[in-house]
Amino acid sequence: MSDPVQIGTAFVKFYYQTFDTDRSNLASLYQANSMLTFSGAQAMGTTAIMEKLTSLSFRKVQHDVEGLNINIQPTVNDSILVFVSGQLIADDDSEHPMMFSQVFTLCPANGQWFILNDIFNLSFM
Amino acid sequence: MAEVPTFKLVLVGDGCTGKTTFVKRHRTGEFERRYHATLGVEVRTLPFYTTRGQVNFNVWDTAGQEKFGGLRDGYYIGANAAIIFFDVTSRITYKNVPNWHRDLVRVCENIPMVLVGNKVDCKDRQVKAKSITFHRRKNIQYYEISAKTNYNFEKPFKYLARRLSNDPNLEFTEEPAVKPPDADVTLDREYIAEQERQLEQAVALPVPADDDDDF
Repeated sequence: MSDPVQIGTAFVKFYYQTFDTDRSNLASLYQANSMLTFSGAQAMGTTAIMEKLTSLSFRKVQHDVEGLNINIQPTVNDSILVFVSGQLIADDDSEHPMMFSQVFTLCPANGQWFILNDIFNLSFM
Repeated sequence: MAEVPTFKLVLVGDGCTGKTTFVKRHRTGEFERRYHATLGVEVRTLPFYTTRGQVNFNVWDTAGQEKFGGLRDGYYIGANAAIIFFDVTSRITYKNVPNWHRDLVRVCENIPMVLVGNKVDCKDRQVKAKSITFHRRKNIQYYEISAKTNYNFEKPFKYLARRLSNDPNLEFTEEPAVKPPDADVTLDREYIAEQERQLEQAVALPVPADDDDDF
């Protein structure tokens, strides 16, 4: 089996680059049993998840991919747990960067990886 | 010297409804501002000079986190007043007003509030005066504004200063120090007069029942 740290790190880079360019392209990473909790709002399955992600009201978002803090562990059923924290900028408002944290579990299926759990929060008090 | 009465004023409403544009119109706020990165909040202190002396509003503006979901309770806690924003060129921002109101009331209960419909300089208005009824059902003051042209900029502050000082006759003794209107936006006086007429007519209509908060 490949190294979970390598897979997780590559996934994180791909995920945020895709999120920031065209997040509708994230659909292939989710499946029917995938779960998303985005700032407390829950969605399950590719359709509901993509509806949530594409309806967010910012016009543009940039995650600081280089500056991300990424922590990875292997977990049950050959899956990978990924914890990310970092900074993002919405609508070019670079004066007001926002801290966020996000957790994923990545599961193998048919020779590919998909996101089973995805929890996102802005890290404000 | 007596301490200047200072009030926490929170701005709420969907992203891109003009909250930041509005608060940035006041010159003093650009010097007296602080970004609290841990709260995701920018606070500007805006002084107003009134018949009851100086009044300061510490205006809380988000860093844009409402674009990712709701705001944390810490944003609302201790607020003395609130302005709820929507954009008259975007129906969804008006539909979300009851949600912002609900979040405010949950934490702040009975503080004075103003609902503002921003961007009334735009001719492609989607939310007509007669369909803006939420404030009448909730007994909230409503103003139409155009942040980019300063139209009605002072109205929400004057209303809130009157409520907070319990003086319905309070007046400003100096015009608020606002920046000149944006060069790329012109306020069509005739168009605005027509909007004001429609707003007056809407007030004459009966208040709708309080059963369609969720639209």
